[in-house]
Amino acid sequence: MTTTGLKLSAAAVSRWYVIDGLEGPQAECSRLIDLGFTPGEPVAVVRTTPLGDPLVVTVRGTQLALRRREASWIRVR
Amino acid sequence: MTATPPETTEQTGHAVRAGRLTLCLAGMPNAGKTTLMNALTGGHFHTANYPGVTVSLLRGMSRKQWGDPLEIVDLPGVHSTVDPSPEEELACRVIESRDASVQADVFVVVVDATQLERHLKFAGFVARQGRPVVLAITMGDLLARMDQSLDAPRLAGALGIPAVAVDARTGQGVQELMDRVRSAAEGKPASGRLARLGDDPVEAYRRVREILDSSGAISHGELRVERDSVTARLDRVALHRQLGFPLFVVALVVLFASIFWLAAPLMDAVDRLFGAAGGLVTGWFPSSLIARFVAEGLIGGVGAVVVFFPQIIILFFLMTLLEDSGYLARGATLVDRPLSWLGLHGRSFVPMLSGFACAIPAVFAARSIPTRKERWLTIWIIPLMSCSARLPVYALLLAALLPGQALLTGLSLASIYMASLLIGSLTAGIMGRFLLPSAAPSLLAMELPIYRVPRWKIILRMTWARSSTYLRKAGGPIVVIAIILWLLSNFGLGSRQPQLRTAESPPLIVETDMDGSLAAHLGQVIEPVLAPMGVDWRVGVGLISAFAAREVFVSAMAIVFHIDAGDEEAQASGLLDQMRTATFSGTDRPVFTTSSMIGLIVFFFFSLQCISTVAVVLRETHSWRFAGTQLAFYTGIGYLAAVATVQGLRALGVG
Repeated sequence: MTTTGLKLSAAAVSRWYVIDGLEGPQAECSRLIDLGFTPGEPVAVVRTTPLGDPLVVTVRGTQLALRRREASWIRVR
Repeated sequence: MTATPPETTEQTGHAVRAGRLTLCLAGMPNAGKTTLMNALTGGHFHTANYPGVTVSLLRGMSRKQWGDPLEIVDLPGVHSTVDPSPEEELACRVIESRDASVQADVFVVVVDATQLERHLKFAGFVARQGRPVVLAITMGDLLARMDQSLDAPRLAGALGIPAVAVDARTGQGVQELMDRVRSAAEGKPASGRLARLGDDPVEAYRRVREILDSSGAISHGELRVERDSVTARLDRVALHRQLGFPLFVVALVVLFASIFWLAAPLMDAVDRLFGAAGGLVTGWFPSSLIARFVAEGLIGGVGAVVVFFPQIIILFFLMTLLEDSGYLARGATLVDRPLSWLGLHGRSFVPMLSGFACAIPAVFAARSIPTRKERWLTIWIIPLMSCSARLPVYALLLAALLPGQALLTGLSLASIYMASLLIGSLTAGIMGRFLLPSAAPSLLAMELPIYRVPRWKIILRMTWARSSTYLRKAGGPIVVIAIILWLLSNFGLGSRQPQLRTAESPPLIVETDMDGSLAAHLGQVIEPVLAPMGVDWRVGVGLISAFAAREVFVSAMAIVFHIDAGDEEAQASGLLDQMRTATFSGTDRPVFTTSSMIGLIVFFFFSLQCISTVAVVLRETHSWRFAGTQLAFYTGIGYLAAVATVQGLRALGVG
């Protein structure tokens, strides 16, 4: 799947985006999809942490700590 | 397993065979499974060790007040069935009936009402396995705070599966849940729309939403970035740019100080208690070898296990408290960046820190790391953390090395501690990058649960359940090894036997002169190996004995250098005098020179001189290869580094 959207790791804090697709290592992305990061789903960065990594991300009513690397596989618009 | 769902008769047959129905609690982490477990069993649950993996399950019996007792098994929480962690893998095996030791007659899937889509998707996975399923819907109070409401009967109708709203803390809904469970267990396997979500996650999520939308069971809430306001406010502080780390450091200091200082008097008490018990036995039969075996071998061996128990209880209590309140996930989030750079996981911080107290609870604490690779890497570096058993050894050697220089001694000790953290990190970085294959994927994607007021009863229960696992799992090997080491130091070959020495004044202290023992023999055998380290066979005996526990080095040295046992201080000062004058036999070359003592410190720094740790690592990794390699690696590195230090110092002209 080729997507051109913004990487979630570059998204503004506290703003809603919609997931375009995932682009990254197969196994990790499958798990992210299974956790709820499916295309078309609203997603937002809740806050950053003191070292700037990981990010706190909300999707489907839960909050997850995602490393920037992991967030960069999630393309949003 | 067959693809067709089992017949109803088979279900009943299974129940009759087992005598009692087995109810398995399944769900995603933080859904409220343990609270429900606590309510159903009245707090009477225990961990059941699971053969083959490092996971333990909670097992218990339901209380009479909920009807005929059922056997209840609380399965580990499952975030995702894709690429599962060891805990998730176990839960999936039970759910998919691929498991011989736990066979569920009926499942209760605990579903968080505030995260219905994710939790119902998981419930769908359970529902399509051909067993009866009942949903327990939790977090209704939290949903209300978000101005939403859920109609459980309507949801049940839409899903085609019984669903009951429960509040396990007040017991509300639990009776109805158990009634539903009983009738479901006698009925057909789960069917209906929830059982037909399918394998593909994107499709499954779409169907769950469709069911929810068409049923009207849940009122629509607005999309919000933050969940409840309490968690939002606390997270603003816990993950604050400036405050986050200072707060974390305070939490760490409290954790570390408690493990280190709170446990110390308790450990002393255990030590004294077992010492007194042993003394009592030898006092009754002063010259009996069997009495001494019982006193020193058996009682001493059991004492060697129990002495770690206070630390383990305190560590598990604090860990469970951190976990239950929700802070553990935040702490792990804070330090994930530096730790993941080293190839570790954010959660590695608890085991690494505990390693400074004792490697044994630290290895157990590594269980909280969900990914296999990071867990193994953490266990790999734990023995490098400067544990409290090394302290008496360093204290003795530094006192001999720097007599009367308190400041320098303190600074040296501090640098040893810092160096152990640095070298541990370095080792993890190198191992993680070059030696462990990166094939195993690792993902943080760690859920940050809402903060909760600690549930003390559950925390105490869990602490006990986890701590007693240590006694059952590690106790056996540690006792056996202590007994073997006792035999080695008390028996000799053929006519060469250790001599008994009896102190004249009470309390009757009977000690063995180790000169003729197998341990001494071994010490002499390995003397050529020890020569490059600049020490003689007597130190070798100390090193061999130290495999029981590092601090044994001091008392073994006292015995081998013929120091009459008094209290520890007298022992140490007598030993220091002896060390100053000790020479290689037949020469006037001193054994304890600057270079050889620094060499010994270096050896203790690296060497995995703790058979108990090896036993626990073996139990936790289920890999002889891992435990054996670790033992050989660190002891080998310790030896090589000590030799290099001694020879290097000598080349530089340091005696």
